[in-house]
Amino acid sequence: MADTMTVLVTGAAGLVGAEVTARLTAAGHTVLALLHSRTRLVRNNGRGLTPGPGTLVPVTGDITRPGLGLTDDDRRLARTADRIVHCAAVTDFGLPEERYDSVNVSGTRHVLDLALAGPTPLVHVSTAYVCGERDGTAYEDELDVGQRPGNGYERSKLTAETLVREAAAKGLPVTVVRPSIVTGAARTGRVRDFRTIYPVLKVFTRGLVRSAPGHHDAVLDLVPVDHVADLVAGAALRFADAEGRTLHAVGHELTLRDFSDVLAEYPSFQVPRFVPPSAFSASALPGRERPYHDRVIALYGTYFRRRVHFDDTQATAFGGRRAPTRGRTYLRRLLDHCLRVGYLGTPPPEEPAARRTHGSAQ
Amino acid sequence: MILTEDRLQGLLDASLAELPPLAADFAVVLEGSIAEGFGNPSSDIDFLLIGRGDEDLPTMPSLLFVDGRRVEIRTRSVRQLTDQFRTLEKQAKRPGTLCEDLLNRCQRLLHSHPLRGHDLVDEVKELMPRERLSRIAGDWWAHRARQSLRHAVALLRLGRTDEAVDWNRAALVQTVKAWAADRGETYLEPKWLSLQLDRAGRPDVRDRYGELHSTTPAPGDPDAARAHLLACLAFAAGLGLTGVAADPERLTVERAAGVTTWQTGERVHVIRRRREVFALGDRAGAVWRGLVPGRSLPRALAAAERTGGTAPGPLLAAFWRYGLIRLAWKGGGTVTASLPLAAPPGPVTPPPSTAQPPLSVAGAAVSGPDAVDLVPLPADRFAAATMALVWSNVVVENALEDLTGALERGQWPVAELTARRAVHAALRGLFSSYGVNPLPADCDLVHRMDLLPPATEPIRTRAGHLLRRTIDSPGRGEAALADLHAFVTLVRDTAGADAFPSCFDSADAWRATLELGHDWLRIGAYLDAELPIEEARDLLAGHGTRPHRSGRHPAPGRNGRWPTR
Repeated sequence: MADTMTVLVTGAAGLVGAEVTARLTAAGHTVLALLHSRTRLVRNNGRGLTPGPGTLVPVTGDITRPGLGLTDDDRRLARTADRIVHCAAVTDFGLPEERYDSVNVSGTRHVLDLALAGPTPLVHVSTAYVCGERDGTAYEDELDVGQRPGNGYERSKLTAETLVREAAAKGLPVTVVRPSIVTGAARTGRVRDFRTIYPVLKVFTRGLVRSAPGHHDAVLDLVPVDHVADLVAGAALRFADAEGRTLHAVGHELTLRDFSDVLAEYPSFQVPRFVPPSAFSASALPGRERPYHDRVIALYGTYFRRRVHFDDTQATAFGGRRAPTRGRTYLRRLLDHCLRVGYLGTPPPEEPAARRTHGSAQ
Repeated sequence: MILTEDRLQGLLDASLAELPPLAADFAVVLEGSIAEGFGNPSSDIDFLLIGRGDEDLPTMPSLLFVDGRRVEIRTRSVRQLTDQFRTLEKQAKRPGTLCEDLLNRCQRLLHSHPLRGHDLVDEVKELMPRERLSRIAGDWWAHRARQSLRHAVALLRLGRTDEAVDWNRAALVQTVKAWAADRGETYLEPKWLSLQLDRAGRPDVRDRYGELHSTTPAPGDPDAARAHLLACLAFAAGLGLTGVAADPERLTVERAAGVTTWQTGERVHVIRRRREVFALGDRAGAVWRGLVPGRSLPRALAAAERTGGTAPGPLLAAFWRYGLIRLAWKGGGTVTASLPLAAPPGPVTPPPSTAQPPLSVAGAAVSGPDAVDLVPLPADRFAAATMALVWSNVVVENALEDLTGALERGQWPVAELTARRAVHAALRGLFSSYGVNPLPADCDLVHRMDLLPPATEPIRTRAGHLLRRTIDSPGRGEAALADLHAFVTLVRDTAGADAFPSCFDSADAWRATLELGHDWLRIGAYLDAELPIEEARDLLAGHGTRPHRSGRHPAPGRNGRWPTR
């Protein structure tokens, strides 16, 4: 590896992208930060990213367009990159399929076109939930094992990762990092964006939905955003060690029973009843609960059914150790942070939640 | 000292003569109130024998009565004393967790009067300079004074005026003890404080302390209590105490470890350390549900007032007293007030509730809207019994349905057995409502009604009749059904199960039944309680459908039908 590198980071303004960018510039490298609509990079702690000692070069683009929608000058600049880190993706649930195809599939294809032209080594950020709806252990070297994706997001990420594998077969040096459900920082619980599981927590703890389909032993894996960023940045910086590997960036396994027991520790929180999916009927919910169920909980229903464990042998060997904190302790940190900043614990609104929801894994 | 050297040596000789001969030479000191220059004719004589070796000498003292005085003789080796001082130094970093007995032992030795083996005594006293001990004891007392004052600030804001005044006084003692300790007056026992203050040479401090300590604010007068608190705070600040102010905004309401909230229907249950269950009345429950960890105490009170009505302070005070919440001082950790040389601090446990019967399907009984009642059952048995109560009610419903079907078809033996099943299920519900768990075998239920209050005697009598009933004709069948309905009503009225939804009446009632079942299942799972697992499993596999009328069941077992025994 050269002493300093130039790294093109797509989705650099996103939760993971900004943290990866911060780590790369902190290590002295130049980051070409591909930005779509946002112009400012904000770190997970809410502060603007101050690059250094490396350099940050914002580049406006759109991964849904061929050539990433770059100007000729920016395209020339992008070709100087020593690495590409592809973080850009839509991660919200419940969007039209075309949206997933456009950003997650076509976007990845366009990034691969750029990478293959070099060829430029690529770190592709996927999701651990490409494993689809299944129980048991999901291994890092597995991809398409005939699984059924849980939603359009998972389908698109599976397709995108398949494209990446195909490019690797053509000789492109590739590393795939698969985060699970990205949540707050390991030590503080702090999070910049209350997406992924956060709206679900809000709906449950306010008692806006009191019954939900799910197995008490279903497992959700919550990974601190700093752990994901460490692993992605590490893969870019130590690419020789990571090349050809798929790394599960996973964190704390929490069952629905864990969620139930920990939520019960907070006097003001309502604890949802998890009813076996076979015994659950959304139409039987009180009218007041139905909109919240349909707009938030139903989008996450697939994750309340799975009893999946992510093997992270390769990630651990690479140096991406899981945090030593226990899962329940970590969940408390997330909840405490939400209470501190008023995301949770405020009185329920009069009207159902806004139409836009963000129930997604990475 | 109130005793002369000769008198002390005489007492020591007389005391040692009563003990088995010592195996080795020991140094001896007198410690305690007399050695400190206090004491009176009834004060104990405390000797410490110091062995030069590194053996483990027994901690338990020998108690003697010599010349009309109570004499206590302790033994310690030099090695044990060295360990003692090392541990003290280590613990001194956190005065809040510094062991009181350890501090007391070290203090008494450093301030002891040598009687024999002066060289060895000097040697062990060099293990810690007296100035260092003064600092440690001063910090230790200051920590307690700070906690007591914060406690008083909280109590005052919670409307517990008189309790606040008592903690003001406790804080006064602790503050002055801290100040005195910094001046070398380290003896821990507060009994001799007045003499310590006399010796400290600051009559102004002594007099102001005495004035504040003897002030009696008008009972129940928050303004007077606040004035007293402010005066105590000013006095404490003047003596150098930091980290406390009369500002309740500095107090935050926090979660207590191991405390969880479980609601069944409208009843709020709070489970402490998986062992005790508190049932909250409606108002108490509303206040509890409004508590958001991390909020300041005044803000929490304002929110509680909105949800639970006026004056929620006593309720929050009860939650705090029972260890269901913590109060923390911003930047100062959990508020933990304690009186040294008294009971250790910690949550109080109230006497168990006497509401009878203690359980219903909707939750534990409460004594009123402001109740924070301790359920008279351990948590796991509470969960198991209520679960059994829910199942029993469902089985009664199911059996009555089956009985109707059997009578329609003239299946007399089937009807007879089904009627008995209904009686047994109703009795199981009755036993469960009184917290009996595990339940007696069905055939023992009637015999074991001696476990229940005398008021249930009519139920026992009628159950006996029904269990002996023969059904062999339509007339007898209809009569049995009517009597059974009356019996079930009587049991439900007694057990308080009338609030239970008649789960077969409508889809809504059935859903309410399922929800209640899930609520209890959730608590049972949390407590790892003994649950009627098969029944629970059936509930979970019930596909949300209602049990069917007789003759229309899709299949027995796990397809939508409550289990029957």
